[in-house]
Amino acid sequence: MMTSVSNSNASIHAMPNTWLSAAPNQLAGNHMTDIKQARSVALKQVLERGLPTVKNEGWRYTSLRSLLAQNFICTPSDDVLTVNEEAHTAIETALQPALETYRVVLINGRYAPQWSYLENLPSGVQIDSLNAVLNQSPARLAAVFTQIADTAHYPFTALNIASCDDGLVILIDDGVTLERPIELLHVSTGSLNQSVTPPMMHPHHCIQLGTGAQAQLIERFVSIENAGVYCTNAVLEIALSPRAVLRHARLQLESLNAFHITGLHLQQAIGSDYSGINIGIGGAWSRTDLITRFIGEQAHCEQRGLYLVGDQQIMDYHLDIAHQVPNCSSQEQFKGILYGQGKAVFDGRILVAANAQQTDANMTNNNLLLSRNAEIDTKPQLEIYADDVKCSHGTTVGQLDPDMLFYLQSRGLTRSQARQMLSLGFAADVLTTLAPEQLHEQVINQIERRLETATF
Amino acid sequence: MLSIKGLRANVGDKEILHGLDLEIGAGEIHAIMGPNGSGKSTLAHVLSGRDGYTVTAGSAELNGVNLLALEPEQRAHLGLFLAFQYPVELPGVNNTYFLKAALNAIRRARGESEYDAVAFMRLMKEKLRVLHLDESLLKRPVNFGFSGGEKKRNEIFQMALLEPKLAILDETDSGLDIDALRIVADGVNACRSPERSMMVVTHYQRLLDYIQPDYVHVLAHGQIIRSGGKELALELEERGYGWIEQVTEVAA
Ligand SMILES: Nc1ncnc2c1ncn2[C@@H]1O[C@H](COP(=O)(O)OP(=O)(O)OP(=O)(O)O)[C@@H](O)[C@H]1O
Ligand SMILES: [Mg+2]
Repeated sequence: MMTSVSNSNASIHAMPNTWLSAAPNQLAGNHMTDIKQARSVALKQVLERGLPTVKNEGWRYTSLRSLLAQNFICTPSDDVLTVNEEAHTAIETALQPALETYRVVLINGRYAPQWSYLENLPSGVQIDSLNAVLNQSPARLAAVFTQIADTAHYPFTALNIASCDDGLVILIDDGVTLERPIELLHVSTGSLNQSVTPPMMHPHHCIQLGTGAQAQLIERFVSIENAGVYCTNAVLEIALSPRAVLRHARLQLESLNAFHITGLHLQQAIGSDYSGINIGIGGAWSRTDLITRFIGEQAHCEQRGLYLVGDQQIMDYHLDIAHQVPNCSSQEQFKGILYGQGKAVFDGRILVAANAQQTDANMTNNNLLLSRNAEIDTKPQLEIYADDVKCSHGTTVGQLDPDMLFYLQSRGLTRSQARQMLSLGFAADVLTTLAPEQLHEQVINQIERRLETATF
Repeated sequence: MLSIKGLRANVGDKEILHGLDLEIGAGEIHAIMGPNGSGKSTLAHVLSGRDGYTVTAGSAELNGVNLLALEPEQRAHLGLFLAFQYPVELPGVNNTYFLKAALNAIRRARGESEYDAVAFMRLMKEKLRVLHLDESLLKRPVNFGFSGGEKKRNEIFQMALLEPKLAILDETDSGLDIDALRIVADGVNACRSPERSMMVVTHYQRLLDYIQPDYVHVLAHGQIIRSGGKELALELEERGYGWIEQVTEVAA
């Protein structure tokens, strides 16, 4: 009975072969032995350990069944994704709003120079495709690529490393401040040929900021209108050198046909400062792991988030903040708005190692349930082995206050408008940290539109 | 303007309004006084459509339209406005954004053109001056962290902005200091017009010195038990409610 991996009692799912690259030897950077070696270690891990089932604590509330049912294929033939005239226009629309940025666009996981803008980069800044860097100057990524990601605990990260071939590279030299934000746009079409199995993409991004360097990254996941089914399995490896500062906005705005997985592996050296805001609105099935490791003291990490989850959606956020060294601080604030049959999971762990004295860590997760059928499973955890720390966490799950709804209605707003206004009010303190203004507006408009058409 | 006939309303299975009659003509100001717990706020809530009340008998019409069949926002669109006894705080909802949305919702419902940002700001500044409200309150979330007096002034400010046909002020004077009372009363008086009626719920004669009512009613045990001119308020101030209630009992 226990031999079959598709049996519901099995504690792992077998890794479907089609999710892996069909031509592993041709993957970027594989001419380098150490890269090839790292990839094969990752491959071995994911093949041997398989994919988690709901018996795995970290996957208790999120089943892979709907993902496995899709028969994704990693390397579809080119014609499946060929961007025709119609898709071309749809991509242009999906790229809105136009921001003043250095822009890297990935279409279906592939760097698309014709949509990107990387002119007039200041000296000391390299922004390029992962494919180009791994093939031409892999040594530049020696400290980042496969060096920060934790493949042992994150099977989808291992899968990504075994199969990735493209993505974004940002390398900023010591002391350089990049004023203009960098934009990373994942635009996906899904399979444009309905009869073909949907694609799975493994974009991989490497970001390294030198000592005292500063940058802003705006990362968006979008689908073209009427996109087909697809899965994005993205990995970011971010290394912040001493006193480096990174502001990072991440927006997941994909279609309800999209499956989404992100593993963000962040390593922070002494005095570095990371601040991230994660907006999760789209996708049918999404899993995001945000992993932070402090390797130097006096570093600070903030992770904020807002998820909006409705019918036909499941959205799962996992945070793993490891205070391994003393004197670091972290602040995690996630808010969720749920309606219809929407389901969300928030699982945040703060680990404070025995020697990590003077750690200051705080985690909150507040949820607004707009309907009875929505479901939230929230589980903030503090695991503290040091004795001189300031740590706290708090969770709330609530509904809209009828007195507030009545107040707004008595001023002429419909119940639906009142609900929108109060929901946005609930999310306001997270959303205000989202810049620039056009993006902030876009997100608010999307939330309003979603709540307008929602059933409660 | 407002015509209430035989109105009975329950909260749960407890009847609070026991057959209430009240007629308010256009441009008139009616003061409603009465002991705590007599049903004044209940009347205000039933008229504005708050959930949790069941009307079991009677009617309430605003200019011939049956209010009781409408959603709260439809009543607002018809020109009903309630200044709350306890205005609720709306964390994260920007006051200006809220006011503009409310005004435009009402204008749209009336078939009037919506205000753009510039015209709206101009209008707001003009109305703010009357209420001596600090402009900074507009940048904050609605009522959030406002002092008791600021909340009440914000209610009257909204009334000035939304220009209702019938305004119900539920104890707008309570919690106001003497200067604020004056300012609020000035604000209310500035809104007086032959087309605008008001129902002013209060416990104190003092407010009625500033806002001179055309009629004063005593609401007790869910009914209007006495109506008169503004001299009735003075009499109540002097003698309390006991004597009327006794008289009514004898009469009944
Ligand atoms: N939701 C409720 N549940 C139970 N009883 C209620 C509810 N709302 C009102 N009541 C009762 O109805 C009665 C009338 O209350 P209401 O608030 O209308 O009085 P009021 O005249 O406005 O009093 P005050 O002068 O103190 O403001 C009170 O006895 C009150 O306890
Ligand atoms: Mg009352």
